[in-house]
Amino acid sequence: MKDFEYHPAATVDEAVSLLSAHGERARILAGGTDLLVQLREGMREADLVLDVKKISELARLDYAPATGLTLGSTTPCYQIYNDKTLTAAYSALADAAHIIGGWQIQSRASIGGNLCNSSPAADSIPALICLGAIAHIAGPDGRRQVPVSEFCTGPGKNALKRGELLVALQFPASAKHSGSHYRRFIPRNEMDIAVVGVGSWVRLNAAGDKIEEARIALGAVAPTPLLATEAAASLVGKAPTEANFTAAGELARKIAKPISDMRGPAEYRVHLVGVLVQRTLAEAVTRAKKNV
Amino acid sequence: MANYVWPKFGTATVIGKRHDRVDGVAKATGTAKYAYDINPAGMIIARLLGSPHAHAKIKSIDLSPAKKVPGVVEAVALKKADDELLFQGEEIAVVAAESEAAAAEGVAAIKVEYEVLPHFVNDTDLAAAKAAGMTGKGGKNISLAKEPGDDDDEDEFTEKEINRLLKESAVVVEGEYGIHMITHMCLEPHGSTCEWKDGKLVAHLSTQNVSGTGPQFAGPLGITADDVTVHCDYIGGGFGSKFAADTWGVACAELSKKTGRPVKLMLDRDQELKIAGNRPSGFLKCRVGADKNGVITVWDSEQWGTAGAKPGVVSEKVVPYVYEPKNRRVISHTIKTNRGLVRAWRAPNHPQACAMSQTAIDDIAAKLGLNSLDVFKRNLVHVANGKAEVYAAQMDVAARLIGWNDKWHLHGKGPKKGSIVEGLGLAIHTWGGGGHTSKCTIRISPDGGVSSTLGSQDLGVGTRTAIAAVVAETFGLTIDDVQVNMGNSKYPASGPSGGSTTIGGVSESNRRGSLDALDKLLAVVAPKLGVTADQLEAKGGRIQVVGSPSKSLGWKEACSLLGMNAIEAQGEYVRGSKDAKTGADSKLSNSQVGGVQMAEVAVDLDTGVVKMKKFVAVQDVGTIIARKQAESQVYGSVIMGIAYALFEEQIMDQASGAFVNCEIADYKLPRLGDIGDIVVEMYEPESEYNRGVVGIGEPPVIAPGAAISNAVANAIGVRVSTLPMTPQRVLEALKGRKA
Repeated sequence: MKDFEYHPAATVDEAVSLLSAHGERARILAGGTDLLVQLREGMREADLVLDVKKISELARLDYAPATGLTLGSTTPCYQIYNDKTLTAAYSALADAAHIIGGWQIQSRASIGGNLCNSSPAADSIPALICLGAIAHIAGPDGRRQVPVSEFCTGPGKNALKRGELLVALQFPASAKHSGSHYRRFIPRNEMDIAVVGVGSWVRLNAAGDKIEEARIALGAVAPTPLLATEAAASLVGKAPTEANFTAAGELARKIAKPISDMRGPAEYRVHLVGVLVQRTLAEAVTRAKKNV
Repeated sequence: MANYVWPKFGTATVIGKRHDRVDGVAKATGTAKYAYDINPAGMIIARLLGSPHAHAKIKSIDLSPAKKVPGVVEAVALKKADDELLFQGEEIAVVAAESEAAAAEGVAAIKVEYEVLPHFVNDTDLAAAKAAGMTGKGGKNISLAKEPGDDDDEDEFTEKEINRLLKESAVVVEGEYGIHMITHMCLEPHGSTCEWKDGKLVAHLSTQNVSGTGPQFAGPLGITADDVTVHCDYIGGGFGSKFAADTWGVACAELSKKTGRPVKLMLDRDQELKIAGNRPSGFLKCRVGADKNGVITVWDSEQWGTAGAKPGVVSEKVVPYVYEPKNRRVISHTIKTNRGLVRAWRAPNHPQACAMSQTAIDDIAAKLGLNSLDVFKRNLVHVANGKAEVYAAQMDVAARLIGWNDKWHLHGKGPKKGSIVEGLGLAIHTWGGGGHTSKCTIRISPDGGVSSTLGSQDLGVGTRTAIAAVVAETFGLTIDDVQVNMGNSKYPASGPSGGSTTIGGVSESNRRGSLDALDKLLAVVAPKLGVTADQLEAKGGRIQVVGSPSKSLGWKEACSLLGMNAIEAQGEYVRGSKDAKTGADSKLSNSQVGGVQMAEVAVDLDTGVVKMKKFVAVQDVGTIIARKQAESQVYGSVIMGIAYALFEEQIMDQASGAFVNCEIADYKLPRLGDIGDIVVEMYEPESEYNRGVVGIGEPPVIAPGAAISNAVANAIGVRVSTLPMTPQRVLEALKGRKA
């Protein structure tokens, strides 16, 4: 680990100007649970570590049932799953927040940081995608928005350009009769990196016997998290049955392009996509039926 | 001379009771100092450069760029041009610097030119290893009830006889079983902090061999062992891998000498995994014949595996494991690979042998549609270690504790709940565990203070607590009254902690020394109470006349009669020694234990995940000294067993020869949520107590692999041939494929 400068930014503008000046040699510090390890292990280097936790705009958490949630990018995981309202409205996000590391990590690690680290196996990203979250970005050319489904561009790479930082994640209001679930497959019971992760969101009709809308996102099976469009579309207008979930799982498997590595061969990971799509849909539907 | 025995069964007041560890608070609060925590003033940090290649020759080494890095104080090469590197991570050079970062930068700056050579890391495929010329001479374990005639060729006769017996068997199981190489994964990596004082070396070393490591430093450094003090108060795991000073330990001492400053060199996590010890892999192919009741009639197997870059293999002498049918042929082959070197791993040979052979016994039950417990019991006729009756009794205890009779179903015939099926399995084990050679000094001070001093160590056993219990029992005191001084090679020498020998050894020396010291005290007290010494006993904190407790002195008052002269007695035990007068075996310690373990698992047929539901370990142990610590050994062993049964594996990249999961996140050990409910039951009828102390650090780690594999086979109806039974291997087995 090489020596670096540490600087806590007070405003978004200050952060943007420092990031613009230093480019790749500046690294953003939020919870630090990825960055500190990467610096220590020599996986990343930095001349400047820019602490953004003191920027109040990044720490905001605004929720209203009618308008939805704006989640500041430095909000740590525990703040989500400790909030019953948020957990009910954005269950998949709470599911993910609850299993990223242990509770010490969850007390520091932010959802924004998990997204910006852009690991293909990041737990929060399939949850964000299935919930339709939008990334709000500030940069030298002003503000812009990018759907989280388009945010990641490769392992460790994303849409942020030189000088840009993630300000907040915005979630649409939680619709009635909707429910979501994130689940990952890991060989152990807890604290492991996802071999496959799946986030599913569904909205049912009032009777609860028909799927009106669905979104399915896959993690750890491609260079970036994936939106399984065809699989989700196959469910629209259908009954929420195990057979339909399994069929959606089959379609989702088609877009999974995992590598074979020490976590398992590609064939096995593709198989797990089907299992997890089916299981996350079943749980999302159960939750949707309770959301009236 | 004292009579060296334990109190009669049921009369002990301290030994065999439940005591918190005497150093538990120090360990839990962080005041306990491990080698990693020793930071003398002026200390510098050293780091090690390891080979990036699995097999290479060094063309040149240039340390000068490292020496130019700001903060670097010294660099030393451990290899020279033309040296061959046999595995990834093999030690090349060390760099000492003012900071960890500078040391790392220094290591990165070293210029080494390599000639990369072809590597071989595949240990699963015997034919491939033979083709590559990487196999070596193994051994044979052949026994036949029928003897060859004078004119018979022995090999031909064996072949014929084995085939005849197989043909005549009611059932033949043909199977393949395997267990991958794992590492020791000590939480505290190997390493030391070394400093020189007046030309003498003090090595604060993470070691399970306090009294025996001095000469290993002395030789290469050109000093005598008297000039070395090895110090280790606490150790964060060893499991058989920390007996030596190691090249990096000697290098640390050398850097300290060169720089005139204390130096700390602890391995990085990946180095700890790559170079600080492996357990050999084992793969076995067999044909096993049995009668219609599942009793083995003939065993025929061939096994192979690797011990890394030097030849070695799981011993064929312990295959088939514990069960030794009279008709058997076991042949082993070694495979040399470009993988790290083997070190003793908790019960060397036994866990692999158990996992490779007691699985086949379970498959006999499956093939015949029999209850596995019945088959394991019936085969006790083949047990040659004299413990068949103990195993039978332990099986009954274990079966009751796990609810075997209620939960049992035939292999693959259990009910399915969703995608979940459940199963039961068992296995048995054996181990020696006789005490090692140990010396100690027992001291009774005139103020009543009591201490034991010896060059032993606490490998996690709870050695201090056990010693305090022995001494307190002998003096009629409590364990809090006893000061135990350990962890220094200047103390009376005690054996290394290996082979489950520690508790037997230190209990011997401390009981002997304490009884001798007590004799001396009683001789001083006797005139004061107007009796002879042999009429006195130490009990309840007093020295009293046997049968007339009112005639007594409190411990302190009794000790005050010593005036200015403390009592010091040397306790000594030589491993395996007999009583000098009677020639009888020691009554204080013994060896040879057995144990029965049963596992209950749930398997998800969709994902292949195996969940531990319950694990029962029934263990005999002779005289128990410190009960909680003895139980703790079993808990730890079972968890370690679950680790290698389900998770732990050294994963090698065949293309590069790299050990790819050498990180704490990727080298999978179970989490708390993975171990299920563990039930530990000591098997301890009076006959066991009367045997004397036997160590049990290793035996309970032997059977989990086979027991859990058998439980999985019982649940899903097919055998997952190789450990660890990862979800992927379970799914492959369900598809009828080998993984």
